[in-house]
Amino acid sequence: MNDISEAFVSSLGLILFLDSELLEIILLSFRITFYAVLISSILGIPLGAFLASTHFKFRNTVVSVLFGMMGLPPVVVGLFVYLLFSRSGSLGWMGLLYSPTVMIIAQVILILPIVCCLTFQIIESLHTRYHEFFRSYRIAKLKSVIAYIVDSRFELTTVVLAGIGRSISEVGAIIIVGGNIDHVTRVMTTAIALETSKGNLDLALGLGIILLTTAIVLNGFILFLRGKYLKTSGSTI
Amino acid sequence: MASEDTQIRINDLSFDIEGKTLLHNTNLSLNGDGITVFLGANGAGKTIFLKLLTGLLTPCSGSINFQGGSLSVKTCAFVSQEPVILRRTVLKNMLFVLEKITSEKSTLAKELLSLMGLDKKEHQNAITLSAGEKQRLCLARAIITNPEILLLDEPTANIEPNSTTLIEKYLIQKVRSSRKIFFVTHDINQARRLADEIVFIHTGRVIEHSSAENFFENPKTREARKYISGKIN
Repeated sequence: MNDISEAFVSSLGLILFLDSELLEIILLSFRITFYAVLISSILGIPLGAFLASTHFKFRNTVVSVLFGMMGLPPVVVGLFVYLLFSRSGSLGWMGLLYSPTVMIIAQVILILPIVCCLTFQIIESLHTRYHEFFRSYRIAKLKSVIAYIVDSRFELTTVVLAGIGRSISEVGAIIIVGGNIDHVTRVMTTAIALETSKGNLDLALGLGIILLTTAIVLNGFILFLRGKYLKTSGSTI
Repeated sequence: MASEDTQIRINDLSFDIEGKTLLHNTNLSLNGDGITVFLGANGAGKTIFLKLLTGLLTPCSGSINFQGGSLSVKTCAFVSQEPVILRRTVLKNMLFVLEKITSEKSTLAKELLSLMGLDKKEHQNAITLSAGEKQRLCLARAIITNPEILLLDEPTANIEPNSTTLIEKYLIQKVRSSRKIFFVTHDINQARRLADEIVFIHTGRVIEHSSAENFFENPKTREARKYISGKIN
């Protein structure tokens, strides 16, 4: 108990005095999360909206596969990306292994199905309300998909939040493809794993506090946005 | 009655779903102008008929012809009983249905909103409108597309009386003369106020088709007489 409280006080010191090593790890974590969520959202939200509003022959199969991929084990994804980008792998010539770029790629593989499927669920319910209206006015497919996304923008913030949560807390895939290299690919989660194993609890706890704070601040921000929307529109999300 | 070439001809139209016939082999020749009211009890097949006319449903057999050609969805605007409102401002809802937004169309949108009593709410989020205001917006949005045929599926079923009055007045004074209106209702008094001709549907069959005057003064079928006297609804 004493060790934990000492580590807690020490970690607060690291945060308050903006320890350069800690800051570097935090910034890299945020950078990787930002790009992984951005790419997943750019790809996943339109794809989810398209799948929710379009009927084609193998739609149910595609949707089932995507829903199945929501539970992809991170270490398996890590291993797959590792094999792909390792020297003997088919994309080995790119030399991306143990770089932040390949960590982003692994995270996109993990987050994309989540973003896509949650978007699908949100827009499917909107589609039941809108599709007859769109058909009767012969609204073009692209315009209708954009309208679905625009009209469910506040619900989709929750989707992005889920993506951020998955990305920032992920460790299994990025530790395999990133290698947890100091000053290169070390992020909060991999650093916590390493520092805990080394017994360096103050740095691990400091990182843990920042992870938790990030999650709380993000959730609070999304709740604030939702509340603001409810207030101005009188709508229930 | 309209001349041959301005009529809407419905030939052998039928619609089945899961082996159940919801509209039986229907042959009709409807006026190409004025207001045609589809009357009938709940579940009679009025909405199915209207959706077949818009092209939202595909008939199992038969065809619909208008002015010598096929009745294309492009010439129709459909307003459903439940107003479909996009989560944006009233004015943006109006402009959404246009292929191209021009300054003339923007001005027309504002004029239509003014006619519908919504001019002071054009920048308000449309979701916050009352049920009647939403339906008035839907009607204005349908008109801005300049359809040849306006199809209204019980547009005043769940709205406040002042909105019903405004919509009826607007249809009679501004729309009736310039385009064909199909209007579904089971409100007999509303049918009396609006209809030029009546199509009476009972259990998926058109059993009476006549001018409104004839229908209400001299209904030919027992079902129509019962319906008018309020014994079936």
